[in-house]
Amino acid sequence: MGATLEIRFHGRGGQGAVVASELLAQAAFLDGKMPQSFPFFGVERRGAPVTAYTRIDDHPIGIRTSITTPDIVVVLESSLLRTQPVTDGLREDGLLLVNTRNPAEELMIPVPVRRAVVDANQIAVAHGLGSPTMPIVNTAVLGALVGASGVVSLKALDQAIDEFVPARRAENRAAAEDGYHAVHVVEANTPFTPPVPQAVGPTLSLPEGPVATLSSELIHTSAWRTLRPVIHLEKCTRCNFCWKFCPDDAFTFDEKGYPVVRAEYCKGCGICAVECPPRVIEMVEEA
Amino acid sequence: MAKLTIPAPELMRAGHSACPGCAPALAMRLMLKGLGPRTVVSVPACCWTVIDTPYPTTALGVAMLDNPIESTGASISGLRAAADALGIQDLNILGFAGDGGTADIGLQALSGMLERRTDAIYAMYDNEAYMNTGVQRSGSTPLGAWTTTTPVEDGARGKAEPKKDIMGIVLAHRPVYAATVNPSFPEDFVRKVEKARVLRGPRFFHIFAPCPPGWRYASDRTIEIGKRATDCGIFPLYEVEEGRYHVTRKGGALRPVSEYFQAQGRFSHLGPEDVARVQAQVTADWERLLRLENGT
Repeated sequence: MGATLEIRFHGRGGQGAVVASELLAQAAFLDGKMPQSFPFFGVERRGAPVTAYTRIDDHPIGIRTSITTPDIVVVLESSLLRTQPVTDGLREDGLLLVNTRNPAEELMIPVPVRRAVVDANQIAVAHGLGSPTMPIVNTAVLGALVGASGVVSLKALDQAIDEFVPARRAENRAAAEDGYHAVHVVEANTPFTPPVPQAVGPTLSLPEGPVATLSSELIHTSAWRTLRPVIHLEKCTRCNFCWKFCPDDAFTFDEKGYPVVRAEYCKGCGICAVECPPRVIEMVEEA
Repeated sequence: MAKLTIPAPELMRAGHSACPGCAPALAMRLMLKGLGPRTVVSVPACCWTVIDTPYPTTALGVAMLDNPIESTGASISGLRAAADALGIQDLNILGFAGDGGTADIGLQALSGMLERRTDAIYAMYDNEAYMNTGVQRSGSTPLGAWTTTTPVEDGARGKAEPKKDIMGIVLAHRPVYAATVNPSFPEDFVRKVEKARVLRGPRFFHIFAPCPPGWRYASDRTIEIGKRATDCGIFPLYEVEEGRYHVTRKGGALRPVSEYFQAQGRFSHLGPEDVARVQAQVTADWERLLRLENGT
């Protein structure tokens, strides 16, 4: 029995990482392979990090566990490189594909594996997939994956999108085609940028029993948002509605009683902007 | 600073894992503002068991017990028995469970807790489907609503059955106090919790809890949708104390239910006849509630 090809997808809730892993499996099936696809069972919240897996083999696949030593890692949003251990277990002869507008040499990774980059946001927006602040990049990234690795044929991917994508099939097929041509690959051992060790605050040391003893405020949820609230304080009446209706406890007050956004926790839901009686909170795009 | 209309202390912390615009998160925040720090919360499998974590962190500034989905009622009876055995008298015990874990899977344990006259508060946050697992219909999903298991395709038009009346089920057990609350009305919410806190015996809250991904609306509309639900009579605000009904919000004539439906993708397939059918039921239920309040 030949080796099973293992591919791990990292994305955020809403970007289509799970669908990407399914489409890749469908394409492999159309190529006559025996694929498998499933997501990591975790916090599947909008904006929260999501992991999904695809295995491809010429023979039936018996293993059902999550993928820990992938041949290929696909990252649908480059900010995950900073916050998630996406390259964990990636084989030395493996491939890392990242959706980014930056050159492959500037990817911050711990080891110099073979790398591929594609600006899937730009492709998705050009085809009207998702919104400019929340593009749905999965089909463009899959096209790039095929271009960089040949794990399935472009024809099979095109057919899988046409059969299984529920909406905007023509646009998704075109995005995959564009991703296929736009992907840029650099070989292993070309220069790389090791990540700068960051101060992470208090170390999370595990307690002995199954008891959670640390505050969730150690976890910053700012990366979930695409929009952030800006308060035009000159017109603020200090009514406290923004604070009162915030599901994330992301408001505090300054010494004069004006609201202050706790930027490290705000998820950008926009409730404060809608509920503000004088309408002085504006949701602006994250830079 | 302008005067705060609800207590300032925060016992629910930031950094939790709720979706943007999550009403159950806001509901927990308000519930703990009303109960204060001497509280133990029991949470079954539901959105909140994920919202609180990831391990080893917790979003609650009070103790929380994580338990199986069917066990909330039994667990709070056990917590009260333990507190009694230890001689702890100043403890609020709160069960905080979703609609699936209450009206469906946990119904037996809830009934048992009420029948045992457990001195505890049970709160059901009603996002009207099994949201944590990805929007499967529950007994508390309303008539006509789209969910992944009540699809709108091949002639099917969302859920074919009406919503289970959890307040009716609970009131049949004659709790000392039961109330509906809605995070869109925080002052009413906290006032009722503060009132229930000092009573002894089984107490129940039915919490209206809009869910942006499950109900198919933009995350900034959570409060607005909650207001519409109460103002159209779909989710009236009332309390029942020792069998006496008191409607706590009467905004004059009810708004049409269509205003509530229009705001949500899960009802977008409903036609005028479907809406008229719900409208008739809501109007009849509202009149019935007013008769109960008047004792007629």
